[in-house]
Amino acid sequence: MSNELIEFVLVSVALLAIGIYGLAVKRNAIRMLFAIEMIVNAANLNIVAFSRFIPNSQGQTLALFSIAIAAAEVAVGLALIIVAYRMYKNIDIADFRSLKG
Amino acid sequence: MIDFTSTPIILTIILGAVGVILPVINVIKKEKGSSSFYGAITLGALIAAIGFVAYQIIADKVAPAAIFSENVLVDDMFGSFFAITMLIVSIMTTVGSFSYMRGKAHPAVYYSLILLASVGMVLIAYSTDLVMLLVAWELMSIPTYVLAGFMKKDPASNEAALKYFLFGALSSAIIIYGISIAYGLTGSTNIAQVISGFSHLGPDMMPLALLSVAMFIAGFGFKMGLVPFHMWLPDTYEGAPTTISTLLAAGTKKAGFAAALRVIVMGTVALNLEWTFALGIIAIMTMTVGNIAAIMQKNITRMLAYSSIAQAGYILIGLSIAPYSQIGIQAALFHILNHAVMKGAAFIAAAGIITTLAVSHLDKIRGLGKRMPITSIGLVVSLLALAGVPPLNGFWSKLMLFGSAIDAGSVVSWAPYLAIAGVLNSALSLAYYGWMIRKMYFEEGESDKRVKEPKSIIAVMVFSIIFIVAIGVYPDPIIQFTQSAVPSISTVSIAP
Repeated sequence: MSNELIEFVLVSVALLAIGIYGLAVKRNAIRMLFAIEMIVNAANLNIVAFSRFIPNSQGQTLALFSIAIAAAEVAVGLALIIVAYRMYKNIDIADFRSLKG
Repeated sequence: MIDFTSTPIILTIILGAVGVILPVINVIKKEKGSSSFYGAITLGALIAAIGFVAYQIIADKVAPAAIFSENVLVDDMFGSFFAITMLIVSIMTTVGSFSYMRGKAHPAVYYSLILLASVGMVLIAYSTDLVMLLVAWELMSIPTYVLAGFMKKDPASNEAALKYFLFGALSSAIIIYGISIAYGLTGSTNIAQVISGFSHLGPDMMPLALLSVAMFIAGFGFKMGLVPFHMWLPDTYEGAPTTISTLLAAGTKKAGFAAALRVIVMGTVALNLEWTFALGIIAIMTMTVGNIAAIMQKNITRMLAYSSIAQAGYILIGLSIAPYSQIGIQAALFHILNHAVMKGAAFIAAAGIITTLAVSHLDKIRGLGKRMPITSIGLVVSLLALAGVPPLNGFWSKLMLFGSAIDAGSVVSWAPYLAIAGVLNSALSLAYYGWMIRKMYFEEGESDKRVKEPKSIIAVMVFSIIFIVAIGVYPDPIIQFTQSAVPSISTVSIAP
């Protein structure tokens, strides 16, 4: 493993850690969505960095697919958040308590 | 080269084309058609699809050969088994929706999303490449996020969808990270090559491989509702439209198991790790937490949601002992098919009760046996089958699961404890199922007047009663079917 690869992987792990911290601490739906996107992008960075050192094109295909999928997911998620905002005037998921057991 | 006559491609074309065309019809048609018109088209497409899969199996045309040159999809019995299971669930959901969607807005979009989610569920079972698996996973998940929030004027449906979306998106993010590590370690995204690459890793790289497998377990575990990852599940099943809860509990959960069988179980076989022990602990936790929480519930759908968590624990027994027992995976497959039909029937019955009587509280279903006799019988049969009462189908699959756990005891000493936990949990689950049945039949309700039951719900109930009792009396054909579905995974995945 070359030194360059280590640097990329370290950045990716840092992004993953920030994403997990954000999910654990924040209760705002948009912030949680950002945190999830950060994890996805950490994975994308990983994939692209690895594919630089692996002699096949599967990694780049995977990165393209995963970016496209993440975009579709964010579109649906933002739509759901907008509908929830219209109803509650708030996107703090700690305030969504109509369902409880 | 793409083989256009292979099952996954044909299924994608049938279901995907109809799913894309339905909203277009909705726009073109001048007068807005009734919801049953779109429902009928959806049902036609699903029946054509399941008929095609059944024909391929009966005509012995299922050849485990790669479809694309890159070995992305494979047409094998394992995939066909899951395709049949998922399509049965989709058909039950669609038929149940006939009465549920009556008078509701946007039926064309609703049915189209069900079809697209079915394509995703089916493709997960056929995929042998992590890229394909990821795409199919999202194709299954994204329509179900929208479907869970389909009643957009209903706060509960909104909340359900948002919670489902946040956890679902997190699960896909974790899966993508797991895939990135697996790709970096092995230089391939093909599942078989990843696994054989894992088994040749040096000891310094082993922790990363473990991290990757752990991320797969977490990611798939969110959809399967395994216990540390189950927080979203009861809220979503309760708040989502009840027919969609059917699709989630019986369909997408099974797709999670299909993915887990393709990736994790074969990975544990190749890695020869202590992961099976971890899976066993998760299995015991899942079934115990699910059953204990289910006892305390006051809402029908919420109780069924916790019971489906418990059932995921039973299925996980089969996965955790897969390397040690010949019939572990077979028993898990058998229980997956049975649970799909049993839980589907129970949720559709709940949907029928909620649409006709507009109640979901358990105290309000007193005397239901007189008010809605056919729905009640369907619900009772499916509940008894879920508890594993002989001679219903749930009994045989649980017997196989617990038997395989005891069988594995000769290799690993902890395996029989899984069987003991399973039996104790089944007894525990009989308590709340029996309590519900007692309320329906032996307690006086507010009125004895019989209400008109929707025809579509009756159709689903009759189908499930026949299925549950027939398999319970004569389980041999399905057992043989599951047996033929097992080896094709191992040959595909272990091959270099």
